[in-house]
Amino acid sequence: SEMSKDMMPGPYPRTPEERAAAAKKYNMRVEDYQPYPDDGLGYGDYPMLPNKSQYERDPWYQWDQPDMRHNWGEPMHWDFDMYIRNRADTSPTVVPWHTMSKHFFLFLSIMLIMFGLGEIYPSYRPVGPKQYPFNDLYLEKGGDPNKKPPEVIHYEI
Amino acid sequence: MAGAPPLPAARLYRPNRFVSLPAELDPATYDTSPAKRRADAERLAIRSRLKRQYLLQLNDPSAPAVIENPALIRWAYAKSQNVYPTFRPTPKTSFLGAAYGLGPLLFWIFVLKTDRDRKEKRIQEGKQKRSLLSVFF
Repeated sequence: SEMSKDMMPGPYPRTPEERAAAAKKYNMRVEDYQPYPDDGLGYGDYPMLPNKSQYERDPWYQWDQPDMRHNWGEPMHWDFDMYIRNRADTSPTVVPWHTMSKHFFLFLSIMLIMFGLGEIYPSYRPVGPKQYPFNDLYLEKGGDPNKKPPEVIHYEI
Repeated sequence: MAGAPPLPAARLYRPNRFVSLPAELDPATYDTSPAKRRADAERLAIRSRLKRQYLLQLNDPSAPAVIENPALIRWAYAKSQNVYPTFRPTPKTSFLGAAYGLGPLLFWIFVLKTDRDRKEKRIQEGKQKRSLLSVFF
C-alpha cells in the first residue's frame, strides 16, 4: 500500500524518542505503549496489549466495526484473530477458574479410577456355563439327523 | 489462624490466561483520581480524532471504495514481514527452534523405526504373516 516505511512496524525501540515515535505511530499514549520484551522472537516494536478477547468489550458502544468490536485505527492485539467473537473468549466467569478446574478434574479422575478398578477387579454374581437344550443343539449345529445324538444331561436329581 | 482478615476478592478470584478479572472486583474501576481521568481524557482525544478521520472518509461522496485501516495493515505486516528482520538467535530461540523443528521429526523417526523393526522380527520368527503391501504396512 502507499504507507511510508516509518508508518510500518519496525525493530524494538531502544531510546525514549523511538518509544514515543512508536507510540504515536500506533495511535497510543506514550504511557500506555509497552512493546513485547526483546527476546528476539520476532515481535519488534509491536505493542503488548492486555490479553482480553473481543467479547469483553462493551456491546452497546457504537464501534466502527460492530462485529469485531474494533475502532478504525485502534491498535489490534497480536492474537486478534484468536480473540474474535467466534473464537477464544476470556470473559470473566461466575465461578473462578481454579475452582472450576478443580471440580472438573476431581470428578474426572475419581470416575476414571473407579472404572479402572472395576475393570481390574470385576464383581458380579456367580455364573456358570450356559446350558443349551436338545442335546446341546445337536440338530441346529449340523448334526446328522439319522444318527443318535450324544445324550447331554444338565441336571442332577 | 483465628481472626485473619478475609483475602481481597480479586486475589481469591485468581485471573489467568483464560479468564480476566471481572470489572466489579478490579480496583481500577473505582479509581477516580485526577491522573486516571487525565489519562482517560487523552485516550478519548485519540479515539475521537481517529473516529473523525474514519467518519469523514465513510461519508465522503467521492470516497474510495475500500477505506483501508492502517492498524490492520500494520498488524498484518508485523505478523508476516516484520518477524524475520526482528528475529535474533538467542539461547531461547535456538532451543525452541530445535524443539519444534527437529523434535517431532526425530520422535516419529524413532517410533516408526522401532515399530517396523519389531514387526520384521515377528515376521522372521514366524508369528506374523507378511502382508501383501508390506512396503507400506
